[in-house]
Amino acid sequence: MSAPPARVVTAELVKLRGLPAVVGVVLGTPVVAATLAAAHAAAAAAGASAGGLALATVPYLQVATVLVGVLAAGTEHAGRQIATTLTVTPARWRHLAAQSLAVAATSALTACAGLAAALTAAAAWGPGDGVPGARSGVRPLLGALVALVLVGLLAHAVTVLTRSLVGALVATLTLLLVVSPLVAAVTEHARWLPDRAGSLLYLPGRDPVLGPVGGGLVLVAWVAAAVLAAGCASARRDV
Amino acid sequence: MSGVRTLTAEIGKLAALPAAWVAVAVATLGSLGVTVLNAAGVRDAVAAGDSAALGYTSAVEAAFSAVPLGTVGAVVLGVVAMSSEYTPNGTEAGGGRQITTTLTTTPSPWRVLVAKALAVAALVLLVAAVTVPACLAVAHQLVGDVPDVGAPHDAVARTVGTAVYWVLTALLALAVTVVTRSGLVPLVVLVVNSSMVSFSLLVGRLTPLARFLPDAAGISLFARDWEPPGGVALAPLAGGLVMAAWAVGALAAAGLVLTRRDA
Repeated sequence: MSAPPARVVTAELVKLRGLPAVVGVVLGTPVVAATLAAAHAAAAAAGASAGGLALATVPYLQVATVLVGVLAAGTEHAGRQIATTLTVTPARWRHLAAQSLAVAATSALTACAGLAAALTAAAAWGPGDGVPGARSGVRPLLGALVALVLVGLLAHAVTVLTRSLVGALVATLTLLLVVSPLVAAVTEHARWLPDRAGSLLYLPGRDPVLGPVGGGLVLVAWVAAAVLAAGCASARRDV
Repeated sequence: MSGVRTLTAEIGKLAALPAAWVAVAVATLGSLGVTVLNAAGVRDAVAAGDSAALGYTSAVEAAFSAVPLGTVGAVVLGVVAMSSEYTPNGTEAGGGRQITTTLTTTPSPWRVLVAKALAVAALVLLVAAVTVPACLAVAHQLVGDVPDVGAPHDAVARTVGTAVYWVLTALLALAVTVVTRSGLVPLVVLVVNSSMVSFSLLVGRLTPLARFLPDAAGISLFARDWEPPGGVALAPLAGGLVMAAWAVGALAAAGLVLTRRDA
């Protein structure tokens, strides 16, 4: 006997809502994003568009969706909650799929709020055209949203795999924020790294080999591989 | 307990943390990996004759470009040394926190803090003493004999500077974690700040005063020819002293918080 999928997803959403750290991330992200966009706007040269300034905050917004993904899985293993979870939903893949959906929804909410706040702040304080998205269009912003959600899912899968909150958090943030820029300074093959490929979704034309679609697919492939590894691992171990 | 025994206890506790060894691995193996990539890039660029694309052709630069990974390791060490004290055990094991045991055996919070700071500093210093010379040696091996272009590179001073930067970063992380008691916030903020999208660099685009922020002040310890956005970097010695003042101030504040709190 198992619960219908909708109820499993709802349960995961309720658990996320019950984590003070996740609520803090969702509520804090717009504030931080607006501050960062205002700082970028104050430092920007004349003619910078509000959309471009908002997209400059995406590397920081990655931290928010990574936190959502890591906290969702990491807190299960911090205590004995995972035992309760797997008693209620014994099918590992079903649980992983439901939690991934909940993480995707929460990441999307966080990213939307962050991008909207950044766009508003950039339009208010920026030197540019004053009309949000007028020059850059809406597509890069949607691309940024997709990239941010996928990064959150990647962080979630890594955490399910490692079962360690601190370990997964440090590993993911180091890969995204430290290793990727260092590698990109040295070799063009850095375009295959998840965040570099994902950035083509909102900064198209930056890479001669991968287009926006190609970059998005590379990031999807990273996420699929990580989720597959996480699912196989959790299906084979006790908790 | 005597001071030496408190220090021994802190070293034992630090060495028993899996996260501490992950941090050491990130700092050592991560730095070596990035150095290998950098040095191979320099070698290929020189062989292809387009070294202008990289901006430098020296093995020393290739090695010191890897410093941020060691900074991440130092942050993790400083944070987990303290956050592990406050992590509750599982409920089936009583849900206790290590800090109560620590303060029972060593009732002076100042002594605990100093011992912890010394233990963290010693481990980070050890990591730096192994990692930076190893990175330099690997880079020299890979790059070989090429005419150096780029910044002057006093390798010895920068090696010492890197070690000092890592130690001070770890101490700042430790002090912040004493105040927050949870590792999550300091970990996120400080790892972001060790990266290319550092908050300090962003603030530096708004006000030249940002070069006095702890991490930005210390960058000249290991980087040469580095210009913060919208300002002139502090000299290595001045920057190191500013960063050290931040670290001492933060530890003093942490000690005061620790003495005024139950645990």
